[in-house]
Amino acid sequence: MISSETLHVVTTELVVGAFSVAGLSFTLCLLLHLGILKQPSWTSVFDHVAHFTLAFGLVATPFAILSGLSSAPGEGLNSPILVNKMFLSMTGFGFALGCLISRWRLGGKVWSTTKSVVLHSSSGLAAVGSMLLTASAGGTFTRGESLLDIFHLPYEQVLLFPVLVSVIGLLLGATMLVLSWKRMNSSSTVH
Amino acid sequence: MKSRFHTVFVLSLLLTCSAFGAAEPGGNGDSIQDMQCGGACHGDASINETSSAILSLSSPETIYVGIPTTLTLTATNLETSSTRLIGLFLLTDTTGHSDTPQDAGWEVLSDANGGAVNYLEQTLTPGQNETSISWVIRASTLGSTTFYAAIHHGGGDSSPFFGTTATGFEVSVEPVPENLPRLAADFTPPTLRTLDSPTELNIQTQFTDSIQFEWKSEDGLISNALVNSTGDNSWITTIPAALQPTTVQWRVILQGEGPEQTTPWFTLAAEESSWEVSENAVYLQAFALLFMIAGIVITLQIRFTSTSTPSKYDETPLILEELALTDAQPPSQELAPPPLPATGLPTDWTKAQWDAYGHDYLAGKYGGGQV
Repeated sequence: MISSETLHVVTTELVVGAFSVAGLSFTLCLLLHLGILKQPSWTSVFDHVAHFTLAFGLVATPFAILSGLSSAPGEGLNSPILVNKMFLSMTGFGFALGCLISRWRLGGKVWSTTKSVVLHSSSGLAAVGSMLLTASAGGTFTRGESLLDIFHLPYEQVLLFPVLVSVIGLLLGATMLVLSWKRMNSSSTVH
Repeated sequence: MKSRFHTVFVLSLLLTCSAFGAAEPGGNGDSIQDMQCGGACHGDASINETSSAILSLSSPETIYVGIPTTLTLTATNLETSSTRLIGLFLLTDTTGHSDTPQDAGWEVLSDANGGAVNYLEQTLTPGQNETSISWVIRASTLGSTTFYAAIHHGGGDSSPFFGTTATGFEVSVEPVPENLPRLAADFTPPTLRTLDSPTELNIQTQFTDSIQFEWKSEDGLISNALVNSTGDNSWITTIPAALQPTTVQWRVILQGEGPEQTTPWFTLAAEESSWEVSENAVYLQAFALLFMIAGIVITLQIRFTSTSTPSKYDETPLILEELALTDAQPPSQELAPPPLPATGLPTDWTKAQWDAYGHDYLAGKYGGGQV
């Protein structure tokens, strides 16, 4: 029987590995589409690699979150670092989800204009950054140190909204998702 | 060829660097660990250098089954990295797998750092090259067990070091003499308490008529505390509140029909009261962040994409182009007036009329084409 600690290590390594490759690929996509890197043949390759690894990391993320919660010492969320890990991982999940749905429904058009390229690459990179920060917080929680300690990140501080604000945010976000989904579907029909 | 050489060079450099980062200079935290943490602390065992530390274990001469006893590890000739951090293991095997005291049927009741684990980390003071730590353990079965100790630490050149006891330390567990005053077999001493509040200890014993309770703080000063009986072989006492995250140690002296017994020193660590948060609020905010961010990203993406790249079925640009071509024809009034014909102005025409409609007149369009 695999302990939840071991399972958490396995899943987090999958998440961090996949997201790291996605981050590198999104950076190259950005440079290619902005014309800074002039290798047109790479465009399609890194487009596919970025989104595939992002999707793979996204699938592994819930397992990492759940195994992390069950492997943490004590009962539930008993440390501000754990709460920040939860917020960061869900933030990264949101960025990755938005990025992947956009690419899925809008297709290659996400690379059609400068603004769209910057937004799409930025959302992918923000997902990667959030996940790497989550991993860093995990290192701080278990070992008391992390590679990102040089930035003195305030993992011990928690920004917790009032429940009402969270509810409004949740409803607003869900509404935006539904409306965006409808709009994406309608834009693909014949005018 | 040159680029391949560069690639090989960079990869070799990265592989070389991995050895320097193999150890965890900040430690891994006190925990239950197999030897070498099963390879999770210093990475591959083959990269460890041999520690010069000399480790030796000791215990009381007689160990009874079900009664806590102290196992002490003394480490000398210590050399560490600049962090002066060492990790010490209490093991029952040296296979690196299922070799903790728990795996051999022993229970770790208390350790020197205020926990109940077999792997402890300690930071040495400058100049300190020896240390001694203890575990309170309890055997659940009769027989003999061979204990080993091991050490992890860093070195001057960032290399990880590992060392172990030269030979095993064998202890024999004997049956408990009848009527021996002792702690109850299912009594588990607490290892943690919160700051700023006195700690009530409920102690269960067997074959005990009275007990004395002693505790000592980190400065080594031993104090007594009043013990009240709450029933047959059940006792309660209070340890004063800790104002800082420190440890105290306590033991009881048990008197009964059998010979007087003194328990090992149990360590009790004080820590700040646990951090609390409304978990529902956290989960709600986490999902709100997820939906909000995903929604914002998709909404902006649609906006930036659709405003500038029309659908392939959208013919608006083509129509606009045609309209632009049509509008591009210059209006007649902007042309310069045509030269007057040799016969002069047409009959009844004024100069202003010629300037405005002269081109049409010459083209035969004026007046419906009948000039």
